[in-house]
Amino acid sequence: MPRLLPAVACNLDADILAACLPLLEESRVESIEWSFDALFNIKQVPDWFLELLSAFSKEGRLIGHGVFFSLFSARWHSQQEAWLRQLQETSSLFRFDHITEHFGFMTGKDFHRGAPLNIPYTASTLAIGRDRLQRIQEACHCPVGLENLAFSYSLEEVKKHGEFLDRLLEPVNGFIILDLHNLYCQLQNFDLDFEELISLYPLDKVREIHISGGSWEDSDIAPGKRVRRDTHDDSVPGDVFQLLENTIDRCPHLKYVVLEQMGSALRTDDSRAGFRSDFSRMEAVVHRFNDDRIPELVDMSFLPPLHDISHPPVEDEQLYRQQLELSEILETAASYTEAAQRLSRSSLANSEWRVERWQPHMLETAVNIARKWARGWARQGS
Amino acid sequence: MKLSKTLLSAIVLGMTVQAVSSCHKEHLTAEQKKAEAEKKKTEQTTPQTTYPDSCPACGMG
Repeated sequence: MPRLLPAVACNLDADILAACLPLLEESRVESIEWSFDALFNIKQVPDWFLELLSAFSKEGRLIGHGVFFSLFSARWHSQQEAWLRQLQETSSLFRFDHITEHFGFMTGKDFHRGAPLNIPYTASTLAIGRDRLQRIQEACHCPVGLENLAFSYSLEEVKKHGEFLDRLLEPVNGFIILDLHNLYCQLQNFDLDFEELISLYPLDKVREIHISGGSWEDSDIAPGKRVRRDTHDDSVPGDVFQLLENTIDRCPHLKYVVLEQMGSALRTDDSRAGFRSDFSRMEAVVHRFNDDRIPELVDMSFLPPLHDISHPPVEDEQLYRQQLELSEILETAASYTEAAQRLSRSSLANSEWRVERWQPHMLETAVNIARKWARGWARQGS
Repeated sequence: MKLSKTLLSAIVLGMTVQAVSSCHKEHLTAEQKKAEAEKKKTEQTTPQTTYPDSCPACGMG
């Protein structure tokens, strides 16, 4: 069984690289996680960055983290075909130890101008998700995983998420990235107990853990209520380190612990020092775990089985129309009240989306997120 | 993981390139001139801002 590796999320971002450089120079970064599809508006990647990727790739310590595939889009898009081709090409240049993607579907007509949103957990979404995971695996020929969500509309969704992930990943022998800040968001936003929530996840399928920071947002509709958001713009809270301590030895097939922070939050010397301090704290937990770990006889490789993906991609036209309708409402509603009213008159009302059970403060947050993402990526793309 | 000194130097140079101030162009050494040329290349190939104020890599932001 391989030892646990402390890693950083490292992209072509001068601020992230500046924060990481002293750690790289001290040979303390054991692996890097690269969002290979975040280079969509970069014409040419500098040679030195490619060499950095190659160095980790040659040691089998490069892991890929996709952002824009939109796993649960109910209609198959040409962008997804292009994404798979890019993954296939990238996988021929670098050896990824595994590839991961996010849960949800991207809103908006342009995949780079929308927010990833949750989906109802149904037979249809299960079939779509499994189909897409098989296609990803066919493109990269390595283990494939999914990350747990930071955001849910209802407590019911939160409690079903782990089981749904488990069922999704079964045909591809896939694994889970357990993002502990995402878990922290769920704990805080739904007043849940850690033991209760963690027991709902298939921890034997966890191959990677993420830790990061985030932010609080006050709710306008529920005075006194704060919503925790996974914004990656701050250092790792002590509570998340505690979650790491509480979780790490429950994941028998864990291989990577990754520290994430946005480059835009790493522009000062203090914030970069804070990042390295977080890494040191994470590294200490990992080293302590490695010292105490009893190797298992069975190494869970998560290697992919063979698939026949010659059939057309699974689609669900009704679900696709609902996704478009939801995106439109979230991105254009002027307020929570308007969003709630429009949802109640939409095709999502009294459906498997169960919008009637969505927590008001979470719908309010979804509106804020969707509007911000739509504006943000529109600015980026223009 | 140990990285070669050559690679670490290349990363430093690549990052330095982005920090070179244009007001010092007249005093550039040969190495800095090379870095300045690399900077122009990087400016053409690297987005001015990589992400909006929420991170796409986080899932929801």
